[in-house]
Amino acid sequence: MAEIAFTLNGREQRVDVEPDTPLLWVVREQFELTGTKFGCGKGLCGACTVHMDGYAIRSCSFPVSAAAGRDIRTIEGISPDITQLHPVQQVWLENSVPQCGYCQSGQIMAAVALLERNNNPSDEEINSAMSNICRCGTYPRIRTAVKQAASLVRQDGAVSIVDPVVTKAQEVSA
Amino acid sequence: MSLSRRDFFKRSAALGGGVAIGIHLTGCGGEPPYPGTTADELRPNAFLQVRPDGVVVFQLPRAEMGQGVYTGLTTLAAEELNLPATDIVVEHAYYHPDFRDPEFQMMMTGGSVSLRNNFTAIRQAGANLRELMRQAAAKQWGGGTDMLSVENGMVYNANGDSFSFAELVETARNLTPPEAAPLKSAEDFTQIGRDGVRLDALAKVTGTATFGIDCNLPGSKTAVMRRCPHLGGRVKSFDDSGAKAIKGVSAIFETNGGVAVVADGYWAARKAADALDIIWDKGPLAGLDEKGLRAHHTALLKEEGRNISEEGDAALATGERFEVTYQAPMLSHSPMEPPNALVNVVADRVEIWTGTQVPDTVIGVVAAALERPREQIVVHNQMLGGGFGRRLVPDYIVEAARISEKTGTPIKMVWSREDDIQHDYYRPAATTVMAATLDKGKVTSITAKTVVPSIMSQLMPMFAAASMPEWLPPAIPRSLGGLLKHVDSTMAEGISHTDYRFPYMKVDAVHDDTPIPVGFWRSVGHSQNAFFTESFIDELAHRVGEDPVAFRMQHMPTDSKRYGVLKMAAEKASWGQTEPGQYQGVAAHESFHTSVAQVVTASVENGAIRVHKVVCVVDCGLAVNPDVVKSQMESGIVFGLTAALKSGITLEDGRVMQSNFHDYPMLTLAETPEIEIHIMPSQEAPTGVGEPGLPPVAPALANAVFAATGQRLRDLPLKLA
Ligand code: FES
Ligand code: FES
Repeated sequence: MAEIAFTLNGREQRVDVEPDTPLLWVVREQFELTGTKFGCGKGLCGACTVHMDGYAIRSCSFPVSAAAGRDIRTIEGISPDITQLHPVQQVWLENSVPQCGYCQSGQIMAAVALLERNNNPSDEEINSAMSNICRCGTYPRIRTAVKQAASLVRQDGAVSIVDPVVTKAQEVSA
Repeated sequence: MSLSRRDFFKRSAALGGGVAIGIHLTGCGGEPPYPGTTADELRPNAFLQVRPDGVVVFQLPRAEMGQGVYTGLTTLAAEELNLPATDIVVEHAYYHPDFRDPEFQMMMTGGSVSLRNNFTAIRQAGANLRELMRQAAAKQWGGGTDMLSVENGMVYNANGDSFSFAELVETARNLTPPEAAPLKSAEDFTQIGRDGVRLDALAKVTGTATFGIDCNLPGSKTAVMRRCPHLGGRVKSFDDSGAKAIKGVSAIFETNGGVAVVADGYWAARKAADALDIIWDKGPLAGLDEKGLRAHHTALLKEEGRNISEEGDAALATGERFEVTYQAPMLSHSPMEPPNALVNVVADRVEIWTGTQVPDTVIGVVAAALERPREQIVVHNQMLGGGFGRRLVPDYIVEAARISEKTGTPIKMVWSREDDIQHDYYRPAATTVMAATLDKGKVTSITAKTVVPSIMSQLMPMFAAASMPEWLPPAIPRSLGGLLKHVDSTMAEGISHTDYRFPYMKVDAVHDDTPIPVGFWRSVGHSQNAFFTESFIDELAHRVGEDPVAFRMQHMPTDSKRYGVLKMAAEKASWGQTEPGQYQGVAAHESFHTSVAQVVTASVENGAIRVHKVVCVVDCGLAVNPDVVKSQMESGIVFGLTAALKSGITLEDGRVMQSNFHDYPMLTLAETPEIEIHIMPSQEAPTGVGEPGLPPVAPALANAVFAATGQRLRDLPLKLA
């Protein structure tokens, strides 16, 4: 076991786990943030996508030890609460993108990371950034939603990520 | 009490759509009370309750697995209550006999029947509650109900006075609920037929929707299993010295034919499982590979089989015979959320948190596995991260229940993707000979013989075990499986009983009695049979030199739904006009009482098939939520394109060779074509939408590939020579 410190959704955190434990399981089990999903465990599907220092990473294949000192953000950390959605969540909702919804946290995290870097992505850029699998086939709506979110972001300026209210799990572990 | 063979056949035959049936033999005792009701609530029927604060709660009787029942079924109740669907609290219903599907006689989500079979019942429940609230208000005002209206959770009288539902709950509870209040007529609908928001979308974009895998209990341990990689095999012996050394591991033992590892958290459990050294007994399929499977099917094609349908006069089948063989592989469901269950077995109760399409069956099989009465088993159903038929089989729940019983702790069983792909109940492989006779440029007959396992005969004993009375000797449910191979309508559905008319038509099916576990995969028999039929019809059109759309239309009744969607699809897709280098293919198929036609535009670039566009027309009766219908068509098309272009489960030595998304790949966003959906206007009662979008896409694509290359691809997945 080893103590590892990192920032999670804007708060300093420490955990004592085996250093090779994938970040996914630490987020889900130690911090009880279950919005990040397990889909393949091999970096192939993107259901587990979170941000590290603003970049999308696949947390199932990312040892928690590598998160030490980094800034980690999960789906629970991109909007302060469900009444103040991130523009990407907002367009996702308006377009009724989710079906079963299981892949959608990862899809949204991938889209947010894309738009933070590029607020006017071409179809090709969307294709390469949005490589997460959706078994329900929500891809046509994802493409539409990413484009709408991009135009929202262009209008309103940069995507602002507001730190969320402290969750119960975070309080307990802090 | 007994179930005669004849009754049984009748019920099986009524299946049509194809998903499992249950045999429910009602006992003589009274119905149990509705679960989840408190004493101060109003609960006039199974579906709806009003809390003391006036909030209306809808008990969702079907599993939400992406197909939209959470929204669609709630809308039905909301419409009759004159209450926005967004104001209703939706709960996953606990098992109760009143939630059984009237057709399947079990609480089951499948067969694309959720809207079709609940369309009246749930509206009726809403109307009855509306009427009850009017009666309660009338009583409180001391008058009649004549001038009272219900709107937004309030009852109004002619003077504009009102009572809120909260103010009426107490009075209403002491009235006899009406049972046949008048339903609104279609012209008065304000929610049905509109693109209402998906009621589950907010939770799903914020990561707050709860799936089975997100459930937890204090003190729970995580369990993973190593199962024999050779299908049907089991553990012979194992060495756990390496595994035991992993920190956090609390137990390792043999169970369910494999080895279970129980640990603190998934990672410790998985690492320990990987460290186990296991010697397997390879079981009944040892040595079986693809060649063997195909040779077996070729041999079975020589058998006469069972006649499924025969129309017209065999003597009319004149002219030259044309015969080809089509094949479809096994497929895995691979829902995005791998199978999982949280089970807590205690002295007098077994609680289960999971996502399942069959709460009924879960109760039956867990009760049987743990030898406990059914009343002790409670299923807390959750959002399903995809079902597609996989969650009709509760194997993963039984595993978790046995492990929890043994360890005495709550057990969270989580399958890996590898477990999922290698231990599925697969869409069965099928081989079909399609034949026709052609006489002077006319098709005079079409005949088909399909070789395929019977899903029903494999899975029926399980469904039966769930609903058979407990005194019935266990051998009886098992023997039902044997009967079913003679009546399983899923084997040839979509080849037989189509709208096509030719002078002579005949379909036979040969049962491949394989020990390979098979199951209901989205659209079931239609998933392969539409490919066989609609590709072959295309072949015949080209043989007689006809346009594929025109040929189809000539050979089906002009008043059929299939004709209607085909005609509209050809118009919407500008059939016959394409960009240079692009080619169209068409298919039209009816499944689950819904007709869908699709025109696929594709090209072949650098030896690879590229799909540009799919135009889809669906006739599903009245679209309760047109946007959900569209999303289900999109979903079926992507699912079907994945199968058409990518998927195949193959065996070696009885073992599945695929393991994760690198070798069982899914269509990606980059590969997804433009999809355009049109809904045929209709006032008929709603029919299925979760599955019917899938069957036509593979043949429409194969037909486009033929147009592009002249290659007729008769095996799935499609591979250019
Ligand atoms: S679960 Fe991490 S990429 Fe699939
Ligand atoms: S919405 Fe179900 S997997 Fe994407």
